[in-house]
Amino acid sequence: MSERPSLWWIDWRLSPGPLVRETIGRFLLFCLLGFALLTLLLSGGVSRILADRYAITAVLRAEVPSGEGEGLARKAAALPPVRSATYRDPETAWKEFLRSYPGLDPLRGAGENPLPGYIEIRIRHDRLTEEDVEFVVSALRAVSQVDQVLAGEEWLPRLLSAGRLASWACWGIFGAFLAGFFLFARLQERARAVALAGDFAFLAERGVSAGRLAFLRAAGAALSGFLLAALGAAAGGGALFLSLRKFPILERVIGSPADLLLPRTIASAALFSIGVALLCSATSLLGWSAARAGRK
Amino acid sequence: MIEGFRLGVYSRGTTLWDGLDFAFGDATAWFVTGPPSSGKTLLLSILRGERRPDAGDVLVSGESLYRGNAALARAWRASCGYIPEQTVADERLTVGDLFRRSALAGGGGRETERKERTDRLLEMVGLRGTSAWRISELSISERVRACLAAELLRGPKVLFCDGLVAGAGVPSWEMLWGLFRALAREGNTVILAERRIPERWALAAGDPEPVGPFRVYRLPGPAAEPKGEPG
Repeated sequence: MSERPSLWWIDWRLSPGPLVRETIGRFLLFCLLGFALLTLLLSGGVSRILADRYAITAVLRAEVPSGEGEGLARKAAALPPVRSATYRDPETAWKEFLRSYPGLDPLRGAGENPLPGYIEIRIRHDRLTEEDVEFVVSALRAVSQVDQVLAGEEWLPRLLSAGRLASWACWGIFGAFLAGFFLFARLQERARAVALAGDFAFLAERGVSAGRLAFLRAAGAALSGFLLAALGAAAGGGALFLSLRKFPILERVIGSPADLLLPRTIASAALFSIGVALLCSATSLLGWSAARAGRK
Repeated sequence: MIEGFRLGVYSRGTTLWDGLDFAFGDATAWFVTGPPSSGKTLLLSILRGERRPDAGDVLVSGESLYRGNAALARAWRASCGYIPEQTVADERLTVGDLFRRSALAGGGGRETERKERTDRLLEMVGLRGTSAWRISELSISERVRACLAAELLRGPKVLFCDGLVAGAGVPSWEMLWGLFRALAREGNTVILAERRIPERWALAAGDPEPVGPFRVYRLPGPAAEPKGEPG
């Protein structure tokens, strides 16, 4: 036997039974947290709902031909904050009008279409801010073929601030669950440190340094926390992917399943795992010191 | 060689003992007796490097345990085995857990090798097939012997035993006598602290050296043993 004992996974070696139950519980929690995190990341809180419902309408002058309107729509679509820009010619505009207000056909009595063509512009959910909307509106207003730009500027700030509050509330709930995990994990770690206090004292009596023991326990907790969080986030991501595939209507609220594989989504999941690893490490050290203080 | 120089302990507001000198040579079994509350357990913890004496120092192979390098003291503790007076601390464990924990303190080793040695040691102390038994289900004598076997798993160079002989009971004395002699023959040092030494052991050991409230016996090696097996 070597002179210097390996203390990696010491808790697992001393008390595997309770740790298996604890690990299963933590994994399930990380699955839920991973699912919630990815949902929040993809949806941007309520940004995607707002972006789905909000549109800027650029009403074109009556004399603008369809080809020119389509060209303008393409140019509008090239603006960075714009997700899509669709040109509707006067005839399509009239049909949409009649669908919304049936029975108003007589308005076209003289055979002339009273409605002009227009461009419907939708903003990307992550660029739905007053500045970006203002940028698009200014760009459209500068075009001579555009008669009017309808962007709801009088109520948009209130809508956006309500959206921000709702998003913060969503992230706040997520943070509260994370904080709850931290507190609960701290209690678990403390209870385990107390339960294993006899074994730690045994090892200390046989030359094992308490500092090394605490450090390696914390390192083990961090590593297992990272792996569990990464696995939980992957499982939560898988569940979200399947949900989006099975219920495509959710895409309007959450986003495309393909977004789960975007580098920034993966990087966020990795950051989440690192954060959980740090929390686990901190709970291990806090539990250890609390248990030792309790023994004194 | 473990040497205690001018050792003194102040406890419960008074001087328990002071100015005591000890010298425990290597590869020998030593027996320290003393009346109740004389500080036998305290003496063992001082010699193991666990409790700093209030006066004096302990030297192991010429190096101070308390005034030298802390790493040296830890290395010394790592090379020691210790069987405490039985308490209720480990009641949740099984006998197998004691061995697992002891192996952990010794650096792990291969599982199969550990199991094999565990079985042999348990058989040696008369507890064959008890690996799965809970400590709370064992008698005091069985607990003592299980702890002894678990400590021997690591092969400690020095073995400190507190109340082991009394705890193990008369039927185990013969086994213990043989074990201590065997350990000493292999170059290990055994230091036992007890209230009383078995009569036949005392006869075999000869006159003790009085040190403060204690009497220190040196148990004879195999060559010096008188006729018959004390026990």
